[in-house]
Amino acid sequence: MHRPSRIRLCLALIAVVVFGFPLLWMLYTGLKTPAELQAHPWRLPSRPTLANFATVLRDGAFGRYYLNSLVISVLGGLLSLLVGSLAAYGLARLRFRGRAGLLTLFLAGMMIPVHVTLVPLFVMLGKLGWLNTHAALILPYAAFGLPMTVFVLHAFFRRVPRELEEAGRLDGCSTWRLYWSILLPVAKPALATVAIFNFVTMWNEFVFALTLVGESESARTLPLGLWKFSDQFGDNLPAMSAAIAVSVLPALLVYFFAQKHIIRGLTAGALSG
Amino acid sequence: MTSRSRIGTIIAFVLPAGLLFFCFVLLPILQAVRYALFDWNLLKPDGATWAAGRNFGELLRDGVFWKCLGHNGLLAAISIFVQLPLALGLALLLAGRLPGRGVFRTLCFAPMVMPTVAVGFLWRFVYDPQVGLLEAVVWGPPQGWLGDPNTTLLAAVIAISWRFIGFHTVIFLAGLESIPPELYEAAEVDGASRVRQFRRITLPLLLPAATVSATLSLIGSLKYFDLIYVLFPEGSVADSSEVVATYMYRTVFRHYRAGYGSLLAVALFVIVMVVSVLFLWGARRRERLVLGGT
Repeated sequence: MHRPSRIRLCLALIAVVVFGFPLLWMLYTGLKTPAELQAHPWRLPSRPTLANFATVLRDGAFGRYYLNSLVISVLGGLLSLLVGSLAAYGLARLRFRGRAGLLTLFLAGMMIPVHVTLVPLFVMLGKLGWLNTHAALILPYAAFGLPMTVFVLHAFFRRVPRELEEAGRLDGCSTWRLYWSILLPVAKPALATVAIFNFVTMWNEFVFALTLVGESESARTLPLGLWKFSDQFGDNLPAMSAAIAVSVLPALLVYFFAQKHIIRGLTAGALSG
Repeated sequence: MTSRSRIGTIIAFVLPAGLLFFCFVLLPILQAVRYALFDWNLLKPDGATWAAGRNFGELLRDGVFWKCLGHNGLLAAISIFVQLPLALGLALLLAGRLPGRGVFRTLCFAPMVMPTVAVGFLWRFVYDPQVGLLEAVVWGPPQGWLGDPNTTLLAAVIAISWRFIGFHTVIFLAGLESIPPELYEAAEVDGASRVRQFRRITLPLLLPAATVSATLSLIGSLKYFDLIYVLFPEGSVADSSEVVATYMYRTVFRHYRAGYGSLLAVALFVIVMVVSVLFLWGARRRERLVLGGT
């Protein structure tokens, strides 16, 4: 078959419309006024206006939300990566009783519905006075990122040829040096994959943010910022569309440029099993 | 190395993760179980009264809970029997000859990169009875897809599928690409039809990928929260689209019933874990039977 069949093209077109058109619609709805939207919900805006975007940027404090999300996702991701890779290496190479059990415990963490920890974390962090701080999200995010981190890195470390470590040992490396100077550099692709997965997951996370940092703006993340924006502008569809666009465009841009890595990162756990 | 420094090394490597995991995952779960035994108001934790029996009894009699569970089950069934085949179809489409398939793949995976809040709001507007996208194309009930109790679950499922199909498509694509083309060539030489090739080569070799997708779909459906909450922040009409996770959330953070809400959460936890383990175990066995043990 040298030319794709017509059916294929047709189906592909349907897929494009289904996945692409809502996004496109949201984008140009943001350029309309509410009145125009009411009159012609479908058509391209006849007189595109940036007023909605101005409202979003002025009243939405999205700059701060971006910063919060960045800080929380980066720190949470780093913490999970560091602590998780240490544990993954220990579980892969160091032999001790209960090693299999501990590994199972971490992996089982992937199935745990996070909602069961919502109330206890709310109470615990409340008592510590950490509600509405960045730490309130960084720590639980890092903790819940551990199962995937350990899963991917453990599988990776086990496949690294032992000769590498034996050579290191002959040179007198301690376990720590083996890990830090030899295995981590070798694991860069796996680390990158996990880092992307954790970062995207934490960036988009909603429930914990809603519960643990919902009240004040100080640590509000992007998804939550969008949510709160709807409290004020929920009925103003063009404004909301602009807000969604502002929330989503940078991430989508990064995605379009790095899609191979991001797709691989997000499906890492599923494919490396 | 002396055994003391060896133990020290082991602890140094494993303890930090263990500690983090314990404090923020395991300990809260244990606490949730404890909370479930009492009846207390979230805002006044000191007024807790013992209510283990009462809470549990209420759970068994709670029509809303069982209804929610039914919705979770429906969600899981639709995910596995509708979403997955669609994803497979899309993967087959993208695996074959198609101009610009990179673009298609990017597009159908894009919803996975967006925050669920954004996806939720987007679909809320698509379903809006006055200016929504769907209204102009497809007939909708007068109160809108999100307002009519008969259509809410369907509306939610469509939104959820839109978000997740790309993910499963990528998994199936990876599975498809790992099938050696020689198998198809050999079958072609033997005169097998395309359909036969599909049934005898493609499907069995896709079983591991399908298992992964099915497992993730099942687990995800049971504990699903985000889109349902964003589509119906005040709850759906007559709880027509409520799931256990959102019901639990509203019980605790709207009605402040932290004790009963914790029981709901623990029930969700137990159900998810039990179902997951059973499913994984069953899927492993099936895989071994079909693929003949490796």
